[in-house]
Amino acid sequence: MADNTLVLTNVTKRFGGLVAVDDLSFTVKQGQIYGIIGPNGAGKTTVFNCITGIHPCEEGSINWCGEEIRLLSPHKIVQRGIVRTFQTIRLFSQMSVAENIMSGRHIKSSQGWWNAIVPTPGSKKDEKKNWQRVGELLDFFDLSDVTVNAAGSLPYGTQRRVEMARAMATEPKLLILDEPAAGLNDQETLGLIETIYKIKDLGVTILLIEHDMDLVMEVTEYLTVINFGKKIAEGTPDVIQKDPAVIEAYLGSEDDDE
Amino acid sequence: MKKKQILLYTAFFLIMALLPLVANSKWLAVGTTFLIFSVVALSQDIVLGKAGMFNMGQALFFGLGAYTTAILNAKFNWPLLATMPLAILVPALFGILLAGPIIHLRGDYLLVTTIGFNIVFVQVLQNNLGGITGGPNGIFGVESLSLPGLADSPQTSAFYLSLIVLLITFVLMHNLEKSKAGRALHYLREDDLAAGAIGINTRVYKIFSFGLGAGMAGMAGTIYANQYSAVSPEAFDFVQSVLFFSIVIVGGSSIPGILLGVFLMFVLPEIFRDFATWRYFIFGIAMIMTMILRPRGLWPASFGNIPKELIRGDQNGR
Amino acid sequence: MDIFLQQLVNGLTIGSMFALIALGYTMVYGVMKLINFAHGDLVAASAFVGLMIYTNVLGGSISLFSVIAVFLLTAVVIAIVGVLLERIAYRPLRSAPRLSAVVSALGASMVIQNGIMLLWGPQMRIFPDLLPQVYWEVGGVIISLIQVIIMLLSFILMTGLYFFIEKTKMGTAIRASSIDQDAARLMGINVDNIIVLIFIIGTSLGAVGGIFVGLYYRGITFNMGWQYGLYAFVAAIMGGIGNIPGAMIGGMLLGLFNAFIAGYVSSTWFYLYSPHCHPYCPTNRYSG
Repeated sequence: MADNTLVLTNVTKRFGGLVAVDDLSFTVKQGQIYGIIGPNGAGKTTVFNCITGIHPCEEGSINWCGEEIRLLSPHKIVQRGIVRTFQTIRLFSQMSVAENIMSGRHIKSSQGWWNAIVPTPGSKKDEKKNWQRVGELLDFFDLSDVTVNAAGSLPYGTQRRVEMARAMATEPKLLILDEPAAGLNDQETLGLIETIYKIKDLGVTILLIEHDMDLVMEVTEYLTVINFGKKIAEGTPDVIQKDPAVIEAYLGSEDDDE
Repeated sequence: MKKKQILLYTAFFLIMALLPLVANSKWLAVGTTFLIFSVVALSQDIVLGKAGMFNMGQALFFGLGAYTTAILNAKFNWPLLATMPLAILVPALFGILLAGPIIHLRGDYLLVTTIGFNIVFVQVLQNNLGGITGGPNGIFGVESLSLPGLADSPQTSAFYLSLIVLLITFVLMHNLEKSKAGRALHYLREDDLAAGAIGINTRVYKIFSFGLGAGMAGMAGTIYANQYSAVSPEAFDFVQSVLFFSIVIVGGSSIPGILLGVFLMFVLPEIFRDFATWRYFIFGIAMIMTMILRPRGLWPASFGNIPKELIRGDQNGR
Repeated sequence: MDIFLQQLVNGLTIGSMFALIALGYTMVYGVMKLINFAHGDLVAASAFVGLMIYTNVLGGSISLFSVIAVFLLTAVVIAIVGVLLERIAYRPLRSAPRLSAVVSALGASMVIQNGIMLLWGPQMRIFPDLLPQVYWEVGGVIISLIQVIIMLLSFILMTGLYFFIEKTKMGTAIRASSIDQDAARLMGINVDNIIVLIFIIGTSLGAVGGIFVGLYYRGITFNMGWQYGLYAFVAAIMGGIGNIPGAMIGGMLLGLFNAFIAGYVSSTWFYLYSPHCHPYCPTNRYSG
């Protein structure tokens, strides 16, 4: 299996009698910006929860870099280079922006639990190095004006950036974005597109769910469309826009006004 | 901000260090109690305030440390200070073992389970399990340590020993705040799903917080056994745990807030002896009022513990 | 076999009391998601209020009327205290962090417990013989009139509550509020009133439980609330906290368990607190 490739094969996730994800397969190749779209309630976020170990799926296979990760717990999946953001932003809201980003450095830090009791020169150096990295990320995501502010007190668009900065602090190979443009105004969305390209330039593969069709058609290179947990189409944005099944799914379920 | 803090703590320790010069033996005993209970309350803060787990059984670990010291010292003739490492390790291991199966419980369920542990612990002590806990009367004849130069005054020795232990606790709390593990506890209190999704092994760090808090409480147990030369079960009743729990929340889970809470709870009633019978009545009203007027506590913990070099320009740092 | 039947009767009696008290915990938790730590102390308070009403208001006369009056007046007084408690200590904290409400409840518990002590003193009081000491022997098992009344009245009250919760419009509103307060509010249910109603029902049942405790165990102390509160609380947890029939079953099971342990093993392992030194009591080791 090629390096840094995510392969989902026949993934099925049930909640009681409800089949949220039904026999879904797709492949995300290294360096891609890959999109998953579908009407509301199609099971998109559930797919992400399966990949990141929050709701492990019972059937099928999720293969990452040649390793089966289906049953790993969330923190182990992050250690393997897959990290996500949430549709409803989940920051450590009482803590400062810098501390939020520092949480992403957790897995990269070499400190052991005993360093919480007795610090060593090594652990102090490690601490310093990680804070430096946080400083770089603050610049990268244009957050250095709000370093000390409590994350929960910031405007929505800024919170999204903090969440992406936090995810990037783990130095992932695959970044999963769950509706990154939700709640953003036009200008913030433009900024987001720019940020996504900047992240891609770092060599990070990006997998995203999005409702904003303009954004999806602009940034993604390849798309999978799902409805009722099933894949109904896949292809490049041009192909998808003309696909009758996709048009049917969107027009047929007139519940999406975003 | 930082300088003010150092100044505050230095002043606190200086005043405490000079206390034996002016205080008589009764006030010295009150002062020692204040120091010991501050250590326990701070250990409770690691689990409750920092990691956000509703632990209402901290007196168990406090008692486990005290009994470890008492048994080793009074029954096996270990020197008092030599018992301290075990009085830390035994509760810490117990904390880890007890936390393992219950750590996934949320909020109130964890609270009830830890109360249960505390009750079982006191029952075990009272029923003299294994014939070594001394039953309802406890264990007498624990050595009173004499510090060099204070051989004639065991009370002053006990006071300074407690002060040293509190100082160690402060250093521990400081180290914890500046470490990966300490931050991890804050993250999982704020949102443990997000903490897991960012790569933190939430289970391990929850158990870690129990172990660390239990070890610190055990350390306080040693100096408690030293102060009274005795231990008995009712000092570690779950109601005692309730008090430590309340102190952390009323104080606001910051070091000054917690010390203030211990002071209000255990020292103030000694000053106003006439009100002794009204003590808990008034304290109960104060608890309700504090929570209504200041839901985050008297002296809420502040965040933003970040290196200076990160703060650029004219940010209005908090 | 005799011991078994005897402990079965004793266990059902104790279990009825636990169940009545547990209902107060479970109902409040169901709607407010708050452990009302003060509930046990209200139970203790009702024993003292019952005693006061009997001696001071009714002048110590024993009649069917005075028995009924003690139960009713105590329930009314305790329900008023319960409603005030909710109003003063809990309502302002509804949107505060969860822990603040928990600590407020612990504070309320201290206030009520020590309030009893300040009013009636720290020493044990003896609850009056409201009911004649009549015993029957049925097949080697001794049953007292008090036990019969405790079991019968508890059964009636719990059945009544069950039908109220399951069959009436108000009961439906209570159940809706405990599933989702916000949704209930949107459906036009006044959740504030529901919470007041729950406190009235929960504390009145607790008051009956408190009088039962006085009748059955005779000796009442200001700090006994923690003990009975804790038992009842465990019962509520066993039944799945928030679950009303669950609390009734949990109380019964715990009562039976308690009685059989006492009958067959030893009661020392089931004694929850040590009355000789309670950290809440004013004469503790620091002031000696």
